[in-house]
Amino acid sequence: MPLTKELEHSFVSQLEENQNIVHKICRLYTNDSDAHNDLFQEITIQLWRAFPKFRGDSKFSTWMYRVALNTAITLYRKSKRSIKTQDFEGVSFKISAETYDDTVEEQLKLMYSAVKDLNDIDKALVFLYLEDKNYREISQTLGITEVNARVKMNRIKDKLRTILNP
Amino acid sequence: MDELELLKKQWQTREQEFPKLSYKEIYKMLLKKSSSIVKWIFLISIGEIILWTLLAFVVPESSREINNGIGLKTTFLVINIINYVVFAVFIFLFYKNYLSIKVTDSIKGLMETILRTRRTVKYFVIYNVGASVLLLIGINLFYYTKKDQLYQLMIENYEGYSAIPPESFTSIFFISQLIGGVIMIGLLLLFYRVVYGILLRRLQKNYKELEEIEV
Repeated sequence: MPLTKELEHSFVSQLEENQNIVHKICRLYTNDSDAHNDLFQEITIQLWRAFPKFRGDSKFSTWMYRVALNTAITLYRKSKRSIKTQDFEGVSFKISAETYDDTVEEQLKLMYSAVKDLNDIDKALVFLYLEDKNYREISQTLGITEVNARVKMNRIKDKLRTILNP
Repeated sequence: MDELELLKKQWQTREQEFPKLSYKEIYKMLLKKSSSIVKWIFLISIGEIILWTLLAFVVPESSREINNGIGLKTTFLVINIINYVVFAVFIFLFYKNYLSIKVTDSIKGLMETILRTRRTVKYFVIYNVGASVLLLIGINLFYYTKKDQLYQLMIENYEGYSAIPPESFTSIFFISQLIGGVIMIGLLLLFYRVVYGILLRRLQKNYKELEEIEV
């Protein structure tokens, strides 16, 4: 079936190009490399299943954000208990240390682990925010209204503030 | 939220620290759809054993009495135990296939597991259909050797049978057994053809795709 082959080729090359998006989601929703790889694979399969319905009326990456986050959120719900027991090493945030002094790095680590402790939906919102998406894009990706996205984001910021400065 | 802005800035610049998966590696992930098929085979085999166990409860009391009366009680018990043991072995094998397809990450390993799974399913179906056919033949041969006793028991347990004269009982009984048996085996074959047939065809398709990228 040449049609399937073409579809596969177009899908795999686009995913290859945009794979960092999926990696970032995996990093945010999992705590070790095994779980990271599992989630990556699960997202790949879900994306592939949904690909025939992707008509190209939005950018591939935009569509990808939506499907990938949905997959992560669904899986996260299923394994809520195992996520709770995260080790501190796992949440460490690898950054190139030479450009930052210790306090900045420490702050980043704390912030990152606070973000990882958010619930699945909030995490998706923060992720899109970190990806520099505007509220319109965020609301479209997550299927909520723009106002709702803004309100939620403000609440999350409050939440993060209390986590960081108890 | 200074920290969040800081994280955002850092976030944008750390694109390169992820392992870069190649085209082939991502493509291989698509082929992992086999693992869900193998999982279904495993789950369906468990469902089947539950189904047969439940069906055993709806066997009418009268037919149990006939079999007990004619002296098949122990035989059925032994057959049941053997059947459950064999089923347990198959379920274990299906589970093993599922585990190995889940952990394998080479195309070759994947192909081997697919072949092994197909083989296990084939033996499973052969066992089930074969055992049913043998059991039906065996029981009816046994009935035949004790047809007089059987006639008595049938009259005791089923009212309608007393209307049948003893001369024609043998032919009526065994012809209806034969028709019933053929229908049952036919349904069993149909069930396997539909359920496992679909799954096996998908596995086969996946196997062909794997073959293409392996060469």
